[in-house]
Amino acid sequence: MMLQDGSTQVLCLTANSGVPLFTRGASKQLPFSVIGSLNGVHMFGDGQGVVLSSCQTDCGGRVVWRVFHDSVMLIAVNGGHGSTGVIQGHVKGEELFLERLLENIWNCMVLVLGRDELTNMRNVERLKKDLRSCFGLIDQLLEDRHQGIMGNLTHCADCLLPPNPALVQEAVNGFTQSVDSEFGCLVVHGRVAAATENWWRLAPQEVILLSALMRMLSSSGSASCDYPVFLPQGSPTVAHRLLRFQLLPGADVCVLCGPTPSLQKAQSDLVRQFWSPLVETLRDCLAVGERCLPGTVSLRVPDVLALLVLNREARRSVSCVRPSADDSPTLPSKARCWELLRLFYIFAATRYFSQEEAPVPGALAEEKAHSRSSASGDFVAGFPHQPLQCYLVTEECKCYGLQTQQHQLFLLTPLSVPTFALRNVATQTLLAVTADTGF
Amino acid sequence: MAQDLPPESIIIADWHRCAESKDFFNRILHKKKRKQFGLLESPMMAPHVAVETVQYKVFLSGKSGVGKTSLAARLAGLSSPNMHYETTGIETIVLYWPVKLRENGRVLFFRLQLWDCGENALRRFDHFLPSCKEQVDAVLFLFSFTDRTSFDDLPNQITRWSGPSNRIVKMVVGTKFDLFMHSDVTQREVRQFQDTQGLPVLRTGGEVSDGLGDVAPFLNCLAERLWNQDCMAATLPSGPTHYREGALI
Repeated sequence: MMLQDGSTQVLCLTANSGVPLFTRGASKQLPFSVIGSLNGVHMFGDGQGVVLSSCQTDCGGRVVWRVFHDSVMLIAVNGGHGSTGVIQGHVKGEELFLERLLENIWNCMVLVLGRDELTNMRNVERLKKDLRSCFGLIDQLLEDRHQGIMGNLTHCADCLLPPNPALVQEAVNGFTQSVDSEFGCLVVHGRVAAATENWWRLAPQEVILLSALMRMLSSSGSASCDYPVFLPQGSPTVAHRLLRFQLLPGADVCVLCGPTPSLQKAQSDLVRQFWSPLVETLRDCLAVGERCLPGTVSLRVPDVLALLVLNREARRSVSCVRPSADDSPTLPSKARCWELLRLFYIFAATRYFSQEEAPVPGALAEEKAHSRSSASGDFVAGFPHQPLQCYLVTEECKCYGLQTQQHQLFLLTPLSVPTFALRNVATQTLLAVTADTGF
Repeated sequence: MAQDLPPESIIIADWHRCAESKDFFNRILHKKKRKQFGLLESPMMAPHVAVETVQYKVFLSGKSGVGKTSLAARLAGLSSPNMHYETTGIETIVLYWPVKLRENGRVLFFRLQLWDCGENALRRFDHFLPSCKEQVDAVLFLFSFTDRTSFDDLPNQITRWSGPSNRIVKMVVGTKFDLFMHSDVTQREVRQFQDTQGLPVLRTGGEVSDGLGDVAPFLNCLAERLWNQDCMAATLPSGPTHYREGALI
């Protein structure tokens, strides 16, 4: 493979003529001839009535193809991992990651440009130019995996549980109503701290994408934005306005609204009115920080290296790594913990735990269902029942997965925790996270 | 008219270098870098030092890619984006800048909100321009020294803003001045333009060297013109109307 270890590159071409539209990710672009071949081999299959969806190279690299609405082809190329381990060896998982990445990127193109512009391709040169406005968001998606954001993978929105949820919720509801909208959301440290009921009724992919957009806008340091967005599922052809206000650095509120009020008006009349009384509450939310859980949640700290809890119904998640202050050098670094958590999620989710796929656009459903069954297939297919718990011991950490009707927990512990105690730690951790917070 | 204003006649230039200004400038700094203020925040002075804050809205106009977003980031002391992404909507940046008036030695905090909107977005969605024009106090017309067409486009940009309401400060900013090797616009042309249009032309570009000194001349010049406009409008030299929104925060 010509890519660096672990790096991912995404290519976008027109589906029928194979004209390259853009390339993102990885510092070094693949040579044009390789891009041409990748397109060619897919086209060859197409001519034979075969859909080529993915393939793997000798050194663990992987390529995934996807055509959207017969107009745009996205190809993800992953350089593969240099090291091999129990989890990394599980290449099928990487496929899930790349598939979701392509889906997210397509949705992101729709979000910025609208579906019509992508499907009625009249002038390729103009489209190429217009697509540049998606790059900020696409790059954000490609980088998120390094910043402890799991939503792009799990399709459950990354949340932060505020210490005083009722107050924050009330303010979000009030503020949203005041701009004649039903869709409002407070984002703290790039994670959803509170949102209106209807915000959660948006398609999970949309919630994820809007969170990514908020992270991008917030990281630029701007104070407020008026941003046109098309909702990939809900409103792919008519743009809404996303108004975003930075209340405090790290705490942003946003609403989806129609033509009124103007940014100027909302900002000068409404922001202070609703949020000034909550400055201290917002500071408390910011203080929760990377832990994402309020101080009232007590974890068995030395036993927890990293955790990810999904609420399966609500499509929300909380995650954190290394909640303890213990800086023991024998433990994997924070960045490595995020990586391991991601890999364990992929491992457990594709192998043992069922996937609740959110509905995919009609034309893709069949193709999707096919690829899904082959990914999770081999193991689960052989049994009539659903696994509820699983564990894995690696050279770096121990992992435990657990699912209930409502939740899924993915837990990493240090090697020092005895294997027979894992189930206990996991059950207690899930209880601690969900019991008081109502998550 | 704005061009009649002799430079540095209203506010004290280089005030950021004086020892007495330290206390004020420290309020907009954090660990030697410019502090970022959310919409609910403002610089906090000790209770006995009452400093008034005046608010202004500044719109950045210019062709796609001339560096509107990057100028806004530079003035606010944010790290400017290292890659060019098109701004696909309106993005605003808030910055605070303390200024000392020459006349009576009063200190004011200028709260400037810079409005930046991508040119393509302006064209695709027609609600953006009215929103940017709403209660605007100043417009900066940007051109890039490395892009001839952006310079030639200036008169076009300027006529868009010549309306009945003339209470808008107008200034021209040439960006990427450091890339003189690739300069497409000569100094003589800039001077000529300055004379015919009667608008001041400022230049920016290059590495951000020392934090405050880098942006001080620019911000002082802008603040001076905004303040002057208010004074003229109020006819009473002591009471500019801008306090309607300015107020004390």
